[in-house]
Amino acid sequence: MFAKSKKTFLVVFLLLILSISSIIICPWLGLKILNPFDVLKHDDLFYVFTMIRIPRTLAAFFAGGGLAIAGMVYQAIFRNSLADPYTLGVSSGASLGAALCIVFGLGGAVAGMSFVSLGAFTGAIIAIAFIYALAWSGEHNSHTLLLAGVIVATVCSGLIMFLHLIGGLHRSFQILRWIMGGVDGISFSILYFMLIPVILYIGMTWLFLPILDHFLTGDHVAHSRGIAVNKYRLYFIISTALAVGAIVSVCGPIGFVGVLAPHTCRMLITGIRHRTLALCSFLLGGSFLVITDTLARSVVPPAEIPVGIITALVGGPFFLLVLYRRKKHLML
Amino acid sequence: MGSLIEFLDISLAYDGTVVVGDLSLKINHGERWAFIGKNGTGKSSIIKAVAGILKPIHGQINLSGKSVSDYHSRERARWLAYMPQQSSPVIPYTVKDYVMLGRHAHQGVWALAQPSDYAEVIKAMEICDIIHLQNRLVTTLSGGELQRVLLAGAVVQDAKILLLDEPTTFLDPSHERYFYKALERLYIEKQLTVLMVTHDLNSAIEYSTHICALESGKLFFSGTKEIFVEACPGILNQTFSVDFQTYHSITAHANIYRANS
Repeated sequence: MFAKSKKTFLVVFLLLILSISSIIICPWLGLKILNPFDVLKHDDLFYVFTMIRIPRTLAAFFAGGGLAIAGMVYQAIFRNSLADPYTLGVSSGASLGAALCIVFGLGGAVAGMSFVSLGAFTGAIIAIAFIYALAWSGEHNSHTLLLAGVIVATVCSGLIMFLHLIGGLHRSFQILRWIMGGVDGISFSILYFMLIPVILYIGMTWLFLPILDHFLTGDHVAHSRGIAVNKYRLYFIISTALAVGAIVSVCGPIGFVGVLAPHTCRMLITGIRHRTLALCSFLLGGSFLVITDTLARSVVPPAEIPVGIITALVGGPFFLLVLYRRKKHLML
Repeated sequence: MGSLIEFLDISLAYDGTVVVGDLSLKINHGERWAFIGKNGTGKSSIIKAVAGILKPIHGQINLSGKSVSDYHSRERARWLAYMPQQSSPVIPYTVKDYVMLGRHAHQGVWALAQPSDYAEVIKAMEICDIIHLQNRLVTTLSGGELQRVLLAGAVVQDAKILLLDEPTTFLDPSHERYFYKALERLYIEKQLTVLMVTHDLNSAIEYSTHICALESGKLFFSGTKEIFVEACPGILNQTFSVDFQTYHSITAHANIYRANS
């Protein structure tokens, strides 16, 4: 747009440094702190570093970045600062799909992808289709869609609780563990299932980022400025649901990144537009999840805390802060 | 040469409730139409229908001989710019960035602003007297300031037709005057056609070339303002179901109409 401030460049630069350093440093940290000499000397440590820690770090970075962009997109198209894959029911649909597979004992895999992950992906897609069918009235009213999302999320949560009840102690714990989310145990072969859709999603979203600026002016103004509002809203909802479905199927429902990253960037750069916001949110969301995952596997050795717990502990208070700001300023 | 905008027996409805019925009207290039009538008579709905926001349940609206719904969204935006009755931006964009969004229809798929776009933004901000607000966030503006920013967003679109829905509601008298002067400047510079919904009857008469009065969703009067003024205040009494008094302003050389309490 008009001349970008030095602050914008500084923030982008610092986030870039944060992202690169977290990707480079974090794989060395964990229950056991590795050093390059030992890794090169010992085969088992080399395996841990290259086959466990690196895919785990990459999964955390792209899952965090992808969820941050998904949150940013939902907040723009629904003009609601608290919209994210959770509030729209996509994550709940995925959790229900995974929980069903766990309860019915579908333990196998297809092409390296577990049935639980496939169930989660299918659940996310069915949830978004259901939300659309519920809210469809010829026009895509964003409030109706958001309300339908909240209803679907609530129904899914109720069904998950029922599955807890009938699933028995062991399966109930499996469901609980899955719902907590995490990037542990992700190999390169599983990583690709998430990486390819997320990179495609980010690339395709990048093309249409200026459209998101118009969504925030309101549907009528956006329409009069030449934006095919309904067409783009449908595109963003479906592409985001597919990307979130891919992330959740591999990492489980990791919460708050989609709210935390875009809002922190909005606080850092006043008047930020979606091209810069997407870049900053991706970098911040990615490095945030890499760092919280490193904390998750380091703080209470020898146990690992599911990363979802840490993101919730950081994200919950942040969510309240956003609510407070929203009440005070009535803005994104 | 045919009319610029043609309403061909249109009916408009919200959730099955008809708000405008069987409206036929022709608007030519360069005309400035004021739509007046009581609240809920469908004035804003007509403006929204022309903008392509509200689809008629019956009939069609032609723009330069082609149905409004047949226009590609970008092409339509180069014909029509719409300023809503009230917009509450949730975006903390700066005023100049917000106005720049109005250039979308003139930019490529990457929405990269060209030097001509910057020049148009500056010009629109000057016309609407918001150049001093250019670095302010739109979320911090007063109702009147925001209204001028919204107008600048419509002006910068460089469309042939300007659709204004109660554009002076939140303006103080001096900025209301300034607003109409700015509109006059636009008519002269760009030969714009304007469709404006307003409750400000005296300004409507002063700045429009044509008046369209609606009553309960039906066309009650349409024609030049000279014919309208001749029929005043009787026509106003019928349109608004209240008695109007005529006062003559010696300084303005015009009649002023006020509803009796």
